[in-house]
Amino acid sequence: MLNDGRIDLLARAPLLKRVLKARAFQPVMMLLTLFAFTLAILTGIAGTPAGSRNFGIIFVWIVWWALLIVVLVPFFGRLWCTVCPIPAPGEWLQRRAIVQRRPGKLWTRGLRWPRRLKNMWLQNFGFLGVAVFSTIILTRPSVSAWLLLSFLLVGVVLSALYKNRVFCRYVCPVGGFIGLYSMLSPVELRVADPDVCADHKTKDCITGNEFGYGCPWMVFPGSLTRNAYCGMCMECLKTCPKNNIVLNLRPFGSDLMVAKERRLDEAYKAFIMLGCALLYSAVLLGPWGWLKNWANMDTLPHWLLYAAGFVTFNLAVLPGLFGLVVWLIRRVTRQKRPFPQMFVDYAYTLIPLGLAAWIAFSFGFVLVNGSYALAVLSDPFGWGWDLFGTADTSWTPLGTSLIPFLQVGVLTAGLVFALNTAYKIARQQVVNHRPAFLATLPVAGFAVVVTLSFLRLYLG
Amino acid sequence: MKHRTELLALFTVGLILIGLPVAALGYQHGLRPATTSTRVIDIDARIPENGGFGPDAVRVTAGEPVTLRFASMDVTHGIAIGPGLGVDLGHVDPGTVKEATLTFDEPGTYTYYCTTWCSADHWRMRGTIQVIDPDNPGLVVPAPPDPVIEKLIEEGVDIDAVHGVDQEHRAMLAFERQPSAGQGTALADTLVILMEMTDREWRRSHTPMQAVERLAAHNPRSDEAVLRDVAAYLWTQDASLETLLQAEALYNQSCAACHGQYGSGDGPAADTTAETPVAFADAAYMFEMRSDVLYAKIRRGGMGTGMPNFGTLFTQAETWALVEYLWTLAVSSTADVPE
Repeated sequence: MLNDGRIDLLARAPLLKRVLKARAFQPVMMLLTLFAFTLAILTGIAGTPAGSRNFGIIFVWIVWWALLIVVLVPFFGRLWCTVCPIPAPGEWLQRRAIVQRRPGKLWTRGLRWPRRLKNMWLQNFGFLGVAVFSTIILTRPSVSAWLLLSFLLVGVVLSALYKNRVFCRYVCPVGGFIGLYSMLSPVELRVADPDVCADHKTKDCITGNEFGYGCPWMVFPGSLTRNAYCGMCMECLKTCPKNNIVLNLRPFGSDLMVAKERRLDEAYKAFIMLGCALLYSAVLLGPWGWLKNWANMDTLPHWLLYAAGFVTFNLAVLPGLFGLVVWLIRRVTRQKRPFPQMFVDYAYTLIPLGLAAWIAFSFGFVLVNGSYALAVLSDPFGWGWDLFGTADTSWTPLGTSLIPFLQVGVLTAGLVFALNTAYKIARQQVVNHRPAFLATLPVAGFAVVVTLSFLRLYLG
Repeated sequence: MKHRTELLALFTVGLILIGLPVAALGYQHGLRPATTSTRVIDIDARIPENGGFGPDAVRVTAGEPVTLRFASMDVTHGIAIGPGLGVDLGHVDPGTVKEATLTFDEPGTYTYYCTTWCSADHWRMRGTIQVIDPDNPGLVVPAPPDPVIEKLIEEGVDIDAVHGVDQEHRAMLAFERQPSAGQGTALADTLVILMEMTDREWRRSHTPMQAVERLAAHNPRSDEAVLRDVAAYLWTQDASLETLLQAEALYNQSCAACHGQYGSGDGPAADTTAETPVAFADAAYMFEMRSDVLYAKIRRGGMGTGMPNFGTLFTQAETWALVEYLWTLAVSSTADVPE
């Protein structure tokens, strides 16, 4: 059964259900994040160019990033998308309302989103596009601010042209990987009984009613089997007249086993995320100063070489090596399944490995640089303000002796999770234990080499 | 009720998107300067290859208190302001800010500069503070001419000429041992010392070798090495220990990267200059040098050699102290005569 082994949090905590059903919940959260987001853009453009003294850099790339990758995504899935301010102005303009359910059609041209773009590819290329500039974005407040502002403007423009949250669903480079890794989280929004939805004629969760809007993420909750594309906006919770929406607590990584939904664009997202984590670790934490200079665009030819290498590694080298692994699995198990399908299936093994790598990578700089947050809280622009008396807080790296242990622990957990996932995927394809075990071995070898590479970079 | 909630939300959005920028920028650029007597000038420090100081020139009014805030954007820099202000902020690490609040009493020109070897072009990392007369803001007060340099020009001394001796000549002249000021001190009473040589101004405009030649004429029985010891004593007798220590700090900060910590011309940046840096420890070279020419070279820089000017950084007294220090690099201070 769909909800077997799940705990419905809404049934256990009626107060939580009341809060989430309140129309004001999401706008209030968005207003709070919009305040921080506006301040980040403002400080980036008008504040000091010294990154460590600029609210935009510290709060976006250290505080927000740590919150997102270490807490929100692994434990709450797409919860960030619930409160993200980027689509808010566009969505409010579309609805011509911020809190209330305004009757009538959405204020938009209502164009059709191209069918061939109804996938993650735009998000994949968008993320890669941002990633090749990441060393510059992470250190230059103004570049960072213009990027954030451009996200907001693209969100508004797309809202004016297309219905609902096309930006979040198909364009946002951050939303792409949040969706991918949210499949690991122990929280899911589902329906209690899919048959109730199937029998329900009006489908209020899609069309909307006086209590809420139709799903802005263009998802039918009745057929929801994975977290990947549910933005947890809670509109369906408000509109469902059958009280059929549940918010489950479940085992980690349950969505990885939903075989029929696996796709090449998602598989590539997994490669890109893992590859980027590896390359970022090499560039930002590795001992190769020249590589950092290249990434930092010391000269244009150097950066072009770096960018070409970066993209090639993510789109060709890593998937190519994994292709060899899949070829080996086919040889070992003599399976007749099509190679592309096996390639996609086994690529989902890399999702826990990738998230663990990102968490481990983040420990490396978040704990070391987190103390800057206190100073920029009092002096967000770096103009010599002291709003809360913490402007003179000196840089104090936290838990530096603990970081290697945290990294080893997280990477090991990610590896074990990946191996377990690989075995389960193998068991979906071959029923018996022995061939499944044999099929797991090449993937395990790949995952071990990747994990050792991270450990080598972090521990020296 | 619903309408009121919506209005409140809309007001909050307006407050965030319009009120926040207006309040922050309005306070910083309007209210804050109006309510504080000290003007704040933010100066970003980058290695010269990436732009150096930004801005690299600021204008302030004499009598106006001003806070200069220096933020390092890339590597560790050192910030000082001169000449004669005694402002040394020390190291400014990447991403950190250090500030100095100053009131310039008189119109003139000052320089803020990097004191840490931050890149190959480190010495280019300078910025100018133009202090304007409030009663005559259009007038830029020119730097007064340096009397020492003026006198050299008047005398026809080419400051940029290769002074001392060429390599071949120097090899012939190379002293068999380093002149000893300590030994010279002990010998000075036993020899005939010409009156003019006790005059500091005379020594500044003559080379030690000229003194040795004159001493030889009046002390025909003395060995030339002994006379060089006496000259070494004469050329190092003026500076107090305190002055030399201050000059040593300046030398280490501004000169050692090229000329070497001990004046051997082999500093870590020696390879980056157009010409090989002079070795002050080479007594044969230094004995052909005049103090006022050394002074002029420091203040004006060496044309085409890669030697920057320091006249906009150091006071005249600091420059003379530096010259005194250079002489201590050329000679030995001990009384023991090396074999």
